[in-house]
Amino acid sequence: MDPIEIGLWVSGGLLLMVVLGMRVAFAAAMAGLVGLIWIFWSKKGMQWSELDWALTVAIKTAGQVPHSKVSSQTLSLIPTFILIGFLAYYAGLTRALFEAAKRWIAWLPGGLAVSTVFATAGFAAVSGASVATAAVFARIAIPEMLAIGYNKKFAAGVVAAGGTLASLIPPSAILVIYAIIVEQDVGKLLLAGFIPGAFSAIVYAVLIVGIATIWKSVGPPVSGFTWKQRFASLPAAMPIFAVVIIIIFFVYNPFGDAWGTPTEGGAVGAFIVFLMALYRGMRWAELKDALLETAKLTVMIFTIIWGVLIYVRFLGFADLPGAFADWISGLEASPILILVCILLAYAVLGMFMDAIGMLLLTLPVVYPAVMALNGGEFVSAADSAFGMSGPMCAIWFGILVVKMAEFCLITPPIGLNCFVVAGVRPDLSVQDVFKGVTPFFIADAVTIALLVAFPSIVLWLPSLAG
Amino acid sequence: TEWNASVWGKRRAFTEHVEKIAELVSEKTNGEFTINVSYGGLSKNSDNLDGISIGAFEMAQFCAGYHADKNRAITVLELPFLGVQNLEEEVAVSRAVYAHPAVAKEMAQWNAKMLMTSPMPQYNLVGTGEPRDTLESFDGMRVRATGGLGKAFETVGAVPTSVTSSEAYNAMESGVVDTVAFAQHAHLSFGTINKADWWTANLNPGTVNCPVVVNIDAYEALSDAEKEALDGSVDEALDHYLANYGELLNRWDAVLEEKGVEKVMFTPEVLAEFKSKAADPAREAWIKDMEAQGIPGQELYDLVVKTLEEKRASN
Amino acid sequence: MAGSSAVLEDGSLLSRIDKGLLRLETVFALVSGIAVFMLMVLAVWSVGGRKFFGTPLAGYVDWIEFAMPLIAIMGISYTQRNGGHVRMDILIGQLKGRALWAAETFSVVLIFILMLALIWGSWAHFQRSFDFAAPMWSRDSSIDIGLPIWPAKLIVPMAFTVLALRLLLQIWGYGRAFVLGLENPVAVPLVQSAAEQAMAEAEHLDGRD
Ligand code: NA
Ligand code: NA
Repeated sequence: MDPIEIGLWVSGGLLLMVVLGMRVAFAAAMAGLVGLIWIFWSKKGMQWSELDWALTVAIKTAGQVPHSKVSSQTLSLIPTFILIGFLAYYAGLTRALFEAAKRWIAWLPGGLAVSTVFATAGFAAVSGASVATAAVFARIAIPEMLAIGYNKKFAAGVVAAGGTLASLIPPSAILVIYAIIVEQDVGKLLLAGFIPGAFSAIVYAVLIVGIATIWKSVGPPVSGFTWKQRFASLPAAMPIFAVVIIIIFFVYNPFGDAWGTPTEGGAVGAFIVFLMALYRGMRWAELKDALLETAKLTVMIFTIIWGVLIYVRFLGFADLPGAFADWISGLEASPILILVCILLAYAVLGMFMDAIGMLLLTLPVVYPAVMALNGGEFVSAADSAFGMSGPMCAIWFGILVVKMAEFCLITPPIGLNCFVVAGVRPDLSVQDVFKGVTPFFIADAVTIALLVAFPSIVLWLPSLAG
Repeated sequence: TEWNASVWGKRRAFTEHVEKIAELVSEKTNGEFTINVSYGGLSKNSDNLDGISIGAFEMAQFCAGYHADKNRAITVLELPFLGVQNLEEEVAVSRAVYAHPAVAKEMAQWNAKMLMTSPMPQYNLVGTGEPRDTLESFDGMRVRATGGLGKAFETVGAVPTSVTSSEAYNAMESGVVDTVAFAQHAHLSFGTINKADWWTANLNPGTVNCPVVVNIDAYEALSDAEKEALDGSVDEALDHYLANYGELLNRWDAVLEEKGVEKVMFTPEVLAEFKSKAADPAREAWIKDMEAQGIPGQELYDLVVKTLEEKRASN
Repeated sequence: MAGSSAVLEDGSLLSRIDKGLLRLETVFALVSGIAVFMLMVLAVWSVGGRKFFGTPLAGYVDWIEFAMPLIAIMGISYTQRNGGHVRMDILIGQLKGRALWAAETFSVVLIFILMLALIWGSWAHFQRSFDFAAPMWSRDSSIDIGLPIWPAKLIVPMAFTVLALRLLLQIWGYGRAFVLGLENPVAVPLVQSAAEQAMAEAEHLDGRD
């Protein structure tokens, strides 16, 4: 059987295991292992005498992956950014942000939901991991929304969607991962995420206001806060700006002499939040809790990462990505149409894959194809298909892809954010959260369409950076 | 026969000989023997020797400095200030060292057999600020240089600073490091040249050594004609690599001019002083360390020196 | 996915073994959390040392890569014990009684087989980096400061072995529930009723921020 055929069979098997309720990480690893055995065995003509060899080689190949793939400096951002999220929770920052947002904007229709979106956007500026953001806000925002009669599914959907903002607004682990895969400037990419992230938040807010205006039952406004109360809520939320400024100075210093690399910026930000939490009275018992929570979420994410990467290793041997590249470059359609098709393909792929696994798997193939569509790495804006230079195209596509990856965090069947919200709120099933998050698919589709149609939303800020 | 070759990154000057040998082998055997070159799909770069040892793929490229303990013997080629001046000399010394029984024995532990080198130019520095052209000026310099090269700069007061190669540009921009040691193609592809004010044209502090190996069992299983096709294509593949890299080096001067990067030249006296401070103790320590482990360090080093002399005499 | 499933306890042998293993798993998970914390401290040290004292931390990247398996893998069994690894429960959520226990047993048996293979594979990965005859027993070292890598590689089969023990317990627990037709078996993660979960959640958040 030819490798691509094996690749398709094994991918089908993976889907089946996932649907049957096997833990996703282990289903992916199992599919990868079986696929490797199959492919090595078929290389020896499926002789019974060679099965032993194929088993050994496949098991040893798969056995390398957990250690070798998690031992990466880039990926070390993920636990750091999860820790920062939990520490910020214990420092009372999440609560303070939510409270401030509530007092200032909850008078809108669907006000608490809008407040949640802007609070998650604010929190995104210290948190680099979408799932962590969703986890902490599920604890804070959902009970408040339920208390005043919000639809439970909708409340959960708001948090799951709001959580995705953390990966566009810097700092962002996944943008760093993109930068590393395609070898582009990390600082500029992070900078580029800022406006599209804020833009996404606004689109979410408009959608919520619209829904709440039409269906009054979804979420009543909360009014009656005095201006005094409003201003009183600000100081507690202020420290977040200190952290944001520090991270900005690390990621990209507007005044020249910056302080460190983005990796270090994340860790220093976490340290400041840690000091703040200490000041707010966090002691060993709470710290231990935060560390255990961080460990649990980190291990869950990393198990998916290495599980998917065993599967990806098998795909590498099956050369499924290569087949895809050939297919794309053989198409005769306009570049923008192909780009839209690629983004749609990501939407479909994202339904079944974890975001990081999806980027790791596809970018080595898709990124060069997109760059070629635009006219190559060194093309000038004037000669290009999308009207932007090579490096700018890399940034633009990066933001689009990360937005797609964020989109896949809320799409069934494997939308990690929805799983996390359902996990934190045991009274909600995963299906409930998926139902509640459905309206936000539309918001994300609108955002992505606008980012494609008006690249300057993405490119304006990084182009200022020269 | 169908082989897989595991390399990493994207197709570039550094992988051209692998592409070429795949092309030549297929041509010479009328498509009977093909080699698929995979860029990172089969293994992580630092695991390539493990993959060969397992038998997951039949051919792979790796760099000695990534994991010195896996390949102690060939780290002789990464000693600072060996005096290698160009890629042809790099090919000659690598070939001689690869043929040494101690190297073959160590590679056999990984079920690997040396095929050819991937000659890399010297890792000269790019830097920001005032050009550094004396030993004193290296004091306190924060340099991105790994392994033995980092140690060499340490002996003159510089501070080796760890950042990954993909963060090198960022580290330079943010002032985490003020100098970066890379080969030219890496200065171009990681963009460090865009941040540079100067480049050390003749410091030639050392380089990394990156062999291409094959799995011994797979090699033994080849037919005579296939073996002949593979072994017989090495020279041509390397010639192709050298020609291709040569074009890149020719372009280098133009790049420097275009970016306004100053060429820093060291006087022979400064170079000699640097060598005696950095290279001699490092070499002695290396030889002592190797001999203690039963690897003929002195012999390997002498072999490098002798090969260099012969190579120069023949030109 | 904290607290998403409850594990019942009683005085039976199975439950006592479960609690014993949980103690070990909690230590492993805490080690993982502390390693994340150290990662942060390491970065602050590295930045501070460079910025204020002109002495950057040698081998910063090497140390991070060394610590990552500790962070990413040590807690794997703790997460499995609490039902924390994500899954699709559209189908399995509809099952009840023996059908549910059969499905759960099948799933953990598959994972157990996978783990046996990966313990072998990751042990082989460790073995290739380990050499009794070499200095520091090292046959694989890091790029910058030459740290031996074998201890980091050894963490993987170690954590996987604990997970395999956990899976054996779960096979026992689910299998027992299947054979005896139990409703609320001990020592395995259960899907709680909404009310129970809300109470557990309220308790958990009590007194926090
Ligand atoms: Na963020
Ligand atoms: Na999804």
